[in-house]
Amino acid sequence: MYKYDHIDQTLVDQRVAQFRDQVARRLDGNLAEEEFRPLRLQNGLYLQRHAYMLRIAIPYGLLSSRQLRTLAHISEKYDRGYGHFTTRQNIQFNWVTLKDTPDILAELAKVEMHAIQTSGNCIRNITSDAFAGVAGDEYVDPRPICELLRQWSTLHPEFAHLPRKFKFAINGAKEDRTVLLCHDVGIALKKNAKDELTADIYAGGGMGRTPILGSLIKTGLPWQLLPSYLTALLRVYNRFGRRDNLYKARIKILVKALGSEEFARQVEGEWLHIQNGDDNFTQAEWHRVAKHFTKPAYENLTALTNEQVITLASEADKVAFARWLERNVKDHQVPGYASVILSLKPHGSVAPGDATTAQMNAIANLADQYSFSELRVTHEQNLVLADVEQAKLYQLWQAAKAQHVALPNVGLLTDIIACPGGDFCSLANAKSLPIAKAIQERFDDLDYLFDLGDISLNISGCINSCGHHHVGNIGVLGVDKDGEEWYQITLGGEQGNDAAIGKVIGPSFYADEIPDVISNVINTYVRERSHEESFIATYRRLGVAPFKEAAYKDKNESAKKKVLAIGENAL
Amino acid sequence: MSNLATPLNPTKLIQSHNQVLLFPKGGKPSLAPNEWSVWNGLDEANLPEEYKNTKALVPFAWWRSQIDSENKEASVIDKAKQGQIGVWFAADDDILKHEDVIEAGKQYWPLVGAYFPLFRDGRSFSTAALLRERLGWDTEIRMIGDVLIDQLLQGARVGFDSFALRHDQNLELALKQFDLFSVTTQNSWRGKRSLLATS
Repeated sequence: MYKYDHIDQTLVDQRVAQFRDQVARRLDGNLAEEEFRPLRLQNGLYLQRHAYMLRIAIPYGLLSSRQLRTLAHISEKYDRGYGHFTTRQNIQFNWVTLKDTPDILAELAKVEMHAIQTSGNCIRNITSDAFAGVAGDEYVDPRPICELLRQWSTLHPEFAHLPRKFKFAINGAKEDRTVLLCHDVGIALKKNAKDELTADIYAGGGMGRTPILGSLIKTGLPWQLLPSYLTALLRVYNRFGRRDNLYKARIKILVKALGSEEFARQVEGEWLHIQNGDDNFTQAEWHRVAKHFTKPAYENLTALTNEQVITLASEADKVAFARWLERNVKDHQVPGYASVILSLKPHGSVAPGDATTAQMNAIANLADQYSFSELRVTHEQNLVLADVEQAKLYQLWQAAKAQHVALPNVGLLTDIIACPGGDFCSLANAKSLPIAKAIQERFDDLDYLFDLGDISLNISGCINSCGHHHVGNIGVLGVDKDGEEWYQITLGGEQGNDAAIGKVIGPSFYADEIPDVISNVINTYVRERSHEESFIATYRRLGVAPFKEAAYKDKNESAKKKVLAIGENAL
Repeated sequence: MSNLATPLNPTKLIQSHNQVLLFPKGGKPSLAPNEWSVWNGLDEANLPEEYKNTKALVPFAWWRSQIDSENKEASVIDKAKQGQIGVWFAADDDILKHEDVIEAGKQYWPLVGAYFPLFRDGRSFSTAALLRERLGWDTEIRMIGDVLIDQLLQGARVGFDSFALRHDQNLELALKQFDLFSVTTQNSWRGKRSLLATS
């Protein structure tokens, strides 16, 4: 993975010093909270319901075992013994103090990490495919471009105070594993007929209050020209994006208002003047970063079939191990290797995406032992060991099981994406974690989950949509009605190449109704599916009606009972 | 302190300054006596008397109305010819629609300003960047309005070389903001990114 040189290191060290001074001015009363706020946000520091929350960038999801140990250390020394991996390849600590933050950032800088631009109205942490460099369906390894753009966007002066936050996702594979179309800018990397690296640019996607899929505004952009093109794009947004209404300030609203063709035309107009400038990347810059993304020292191994891998397990373990292979182990580019997803979604015991200090240390050891000391963070809030020898999978499974990160539920109903919600977040209208817990407890039967197959269920505690509910096959959104927590259900959302925004099915439910509602929706799927048809395929074939009817079945019955009761009393 | 959650009325932040901070490209930051008064352009149609005998920054929109008008004040053009008039751009002035006016202004205006209605409104950063890289503006550009010390470095990099800070800001501390970083990872008006600058 990328290693800082003296420029990168100097920049993060000086950034810590700058923030230390800003915090000191805040603490001694020389800087008002309102003016400090954007400064702390652009260093990842939020003021939450109970305490400060620090969001640390894990650029494009890549993490070394050494870095994970530092995160474990921070969770123990400055927090309450755990961290929360987010849907944007960051980690959050929920209980830090303002006074400690400069020291935490200094500890991070020692292992080439930072919290720069993980919040605020600026270019945020750049996310990418957690399987970059190892996925079998990859056109091009996106990591060098991710790193080049990480550097280009870091402390970019012109775009430090955009109308609103700005998120990049970068994908280089056939399958989209980055939720590309739900980003302010999605960059799809390809090779053209001359084997040159080019980018297709999608703009104006986003979730939040107005979910919109991004529009393709540029194809075949040579990679070298990304800085000038993105400058033009961001400049149009910076100048003309709305600043009068927080909810209409994202680029998606501007793109929608202008129309994507007119927006693209304005970007082209701006770009015309700067496309040949020396902002653009050079070949030397490519080499400087790309040399760090070479393949690790793979052994020359023979590929094993799944059956062969299963024979490694003891008789007693065979069924459980085979399940894990089926759900949590993915194909690799190199024969004899596989990528392993460690599930941070145990049923009902912790929040989705949480890992304890002990787990982080143990997982760092697993990375050292099994995967060249590297890990990836997925936007589904799980961890990946990308380069594991197939012959060692059983050993790894046993070790992962001991850490409670081997539940074979990746991609299943209980692999829930959830934001921290109202338990922590001051923006939330409702809690997400108890809902996730209740659903995981309701569906705590692996046979049943395997039978249901691929289903995504995503929960957001408010319309900011950090829990990606809009693109869940089943989405749950916390809403506030007269001070009470309610939950709205969407169906039919989808991430990936067939990305779709889910549809709201109707009036919202109380928290304790949600497990039954989900059961009713799932039962409808089980009843209506044809052979091996996935939930989303069944939904697309039948439309929302049968699912909606099932979801409100109990509600209608309880309403009827209520009417009857009143009637009887009236008699 | 004012409530900064909502954009302020421009009049509140068009302040008069005894001192401004100057940071010329390639030079060192320093404090200097201020010679310019900023007219907010709000209450009167013509340049008020108090600005007649001083160097005055006038709203760009007002300047345009003057040069377009049948009844332009001859005195304004005379004043401009003496180097006594500059313009300031509002955050929503689309300067690219008036490139010709700005080009013509180069012969009159010793100074232009770009206004920050709120410290975290970054539109005028793009205005300064465009003035420098597109419109070839090579003399002083001043940051005016809600200018705080923690925005100086960004301003200096996009193209500002003169800063009229909000009155409550500590000017000694402001002078120290420009050398916090010895490296950069993208080009700016002041120089190329470290990687290209050193290689």
